[in-house]
Amino acid sequence: MTDLLESGFPAGLPSPAGNSKAAPPPRRGRSRRTGLLFVTPWLLGLLLFYVGPMVATLAMSFTDYHYIDETGRGTHFIGLANWRRLVTDPQVAHSALVTLKFALLFVPISMVLPLGLAYLLTSRHLWGRGFFRAVFFLPAIVPAVSGLFVWRGFLSAEDGWFNRILSLVGIHGPDWLNTQQWVLPAYGLIATWGVGNAILIFISALNGVPKDLYESARLDGAGAWGLFRNVTWPMISPITFYNLVLTLVTLGQYFIVPFVLSNGTGDPDGAAKFYTLEFYRQTFRFYDAGYGSALAWLMFAVVMTLTGLLFWSQRFWVHYEYQERR
Amino acid sequence: MLSTRTSAMSEPAANARGGRRVPGRGALVAAVALAASLGLVACSSSATPAADKSPAGTSSPAGSSSASKPANAKRVTVTWFVGLGTGADQGQPTAEKKVVDAFNASQTEITLKMNVVANKSAADTLATQVAGGNAPDIVGPVGIKGANQFDGQWLNLAPLIQSQKFDTSIYDAAQLSASRDRAGAQTALPFGVYPSFIWFNKELFDEANLPYPPQKFGEKYADGREWNTDTLRDIAKKLTTDASGNDATGSAFDPTKVVQWGFDPQFGEEGPQYNGALFGAGSFVGADGKTAQIPAPWLAEWKWYYDMIWKDHSAPSQKQLQSDTLNKGNAFETGKVGMAFTHTWYLCCMKDSKEKPQTFWDLAANPSYKGKITDKLHSDTFRVFKSTKHPGEAFKVLSYFLTNGAPELLKIYNAMPANQALQAGYFKSLDATWTQGVNWQVAVDALQHPDIPNHEGWMPNFNKSNDRIHKFGTRFLSTPGLNIDAEAAKVRADLQTLFAAAK
Repeated sequence: MTDLLESGFPAGLPSPAGNSKAAPPPRRGRSRRTGLLFVTPWLLGLLLFYVGPMVATLAMSFTDYHYIDETGRGTHFIGLANWRRLVTDPQVAHSALVTLKFALLFVPISMVLPLGLAYLLTSRHLWGRGFFRAVFFLPAIVPAVSGLFVWRGFLSAEDGWFNRILSLVGIHGPDWLNTQQWVLPAYGLIATWGVGNAILIFISALNGVPKDLYESARLDGAGAWGLFRNVTWPMISPITFYNLVLTLVTLGQYFIVPFVLSNGTGDPDGAAKFYTLEFYRQTFRFYDAGYGSALAWLMFAVVMTLTGLLFWSQRFWVHYEYQERR
Repeated sequence: MLSTRTSAMSEPAANARGGRRVPGRGALVAAVALAASLGLVACSSSATPAADKSPAGTSSPAGSSSASKPANAKRVTVTWFVGLGTGADQGQPTAEKKVVDAFNASQTEITLKMNVVANKSAADTLATQVAGGNAPDIVGPVGIKGANQFDGQWLNLAPLIQSQKFDTSIYDAAQLSASRDRAGAQTALPFGVYPSFIWFNKELFDEANLPYPPQKFGEKYADGREWNTDTLRDIAKKLTTDASGNDATGSAFDPTKVVQWGFDPQFGEEGPQYNGALFGAGSFVGADGKTAQIPAPWLAEWKWYYDMIWKDHSAPSQKQLQSDTLNKGNAFETGKVGMAFTHTWYLCCMKDSKEKPQTFWDLAANPSYKGKITDKLHSDTFRVFKSTKHPGEAFKVLSYFLTNGAPELLKIYNAMPANQALQAGYFKSLDATWTQGVNWQVAVDALQHPDIPNHEGWMPNFNKSNDRIHKFGTRFLSTPGLNIDAEAAKVRADLQTLFAAAK
């Protein structure tokens, strides 16, 4: 990769000029500077808007910094006090548990549902595949907050369409967004609107599986399940891995839905108080930015660790047709 | 891609200098400097310049000493943050901009700039601006709760009132006093007041053959009973009907099919203290400023209102309030609620979806509780941030808002003027919109019974304490079968913990 960047042409291939000896030796120093010149704006953006704030929040997590200093007491270094607090804070444990419970719904919805739908949408027997693909992708282009207002009306207990539909089959629908036991399933329903991107990615992965592999497997006597288990799944496993990492990161950032639907409170009775919402409340509602920074870093560490574990687990279940050049 | 690379590779062979043209060190430094300056510009774009040059104004406001200044004198920029209270709703920013333009044209010393932020994110935005050392000079209109969210940040205006000879005699002494903070500093001057009272639906009363509630404070109900909270509850039951037309006083009434409610403390989900103030004034914090308490009238109101929701079914629950039937909480406007308890600011919402004013209503006096009438009072003020670099100029803007600019601003915010001289004009303008002949005297009379201490008043750990109280309010509206005494005891205990944690 480094060779490619430096010479502009893959190593080991003859020079397009026809004579590699005639070409001048690459001026590595100048080329490197040119490359740096082009990436400088991006690097500056990264430093100013990502790395800088991250370092700042890490430093803030060791202080009692408040956005609004009501008493004028100033900001002080307090060592590990914020970190000790988040270990013992019941609200943190509660919000982590809410996030974990939701993960049990969210991960299957974000992985199994789009895979299943992608499978259906690539079926030779499905009429109007293009139409259905567009329909399933449609919610992805609706602005999130507008979509959530529609969902709020749809799930309204008294006159929402969903409960009206349920009543047609004799089911008295619950108050989805205002009862503790139903609010997470309701959020799960809403999550089905976000599978459009994953469907598209799975469709392209499924279409990329070489047909001759299926033909060979059929000749070996594989049935439908055998084809999926031994051909499709290994071939789409890199994409599945990719979607899984994205799902995990999305879960770590899951905020807009509970923020909009509970007005940032996590109601009913804290049942929708996700970890991100707790971070938001501490930092922006209570102005406790020092503690909020510690919360943010904890979430970052957890997501990084889980992502690292996922990458480590690749060797057991992800099949690559090629090996990266070392 | 390959062809591009090929082209790039072939160029050096043809280049007389034997290599690709790459930018020199100077170009590199220039590019880095450009990128850095772009970044800095991006970072500092929201900063308030200390002064800028702008065209000459046309005239000077009365009393200003700026008239003699040269037209090209440097103007100080004063920023005005709008949205912490009202001010960011549809149509308001355009009207506010006209006030800003009028002010800027009226003098040559100050350039007023406006920053409008939607109410839901205004507190977050303002907090971030304060944290970034980029706080605005003026904030408003802002209510008592909004001001308490930024407790300790407001400038004491008393020295400026004195030095700029602002005439405070236009205000009632009690109103002026109510604009002081808990330390006694005059951090605001009265602008708009929003008394509360009973709003009643004349059509529903007529349908139920019920006399209207009294419009004079202290007057009895038409049947001779005292106009108190018991009477109101009884009438509310008579106004509540199910889908079959049965009212809530009869045995045939089906509480699962209510289509019309007798009472709603409009937007009651704001918090239990808002509802509690119907029964009397109070505060969650004792006189010592650190002991948590539940005021007795509030506890009584909570039981009263809770029973109206879950026993009488004459007040809508959270689930019912969030339905389309009750317009997602804007219940009284739907015409399906007999009485509401709310403020003059609710005029905002007394228009249908086509902006046509609803005219089925009138105003009535607040009911008494244990012989005492209480008016839950809201008020709006403009405030100056303590961190302002231009206190004198900021106060000049504030003075303009309270005098020359007041009529226009009051109209924008539907605010009843604190300046009594402006009140007659205000009600006249309301009559032009709501033509049914509203008895506005009720609003004026309500001001005689303000809740002191105010239900939005300060308490330690203000934001966290409010959050805990709000949590109780949501539970209250959505959960049947609660023991309100036990719930109130839990709230008090939690508040005590939060008060103790306040530094």
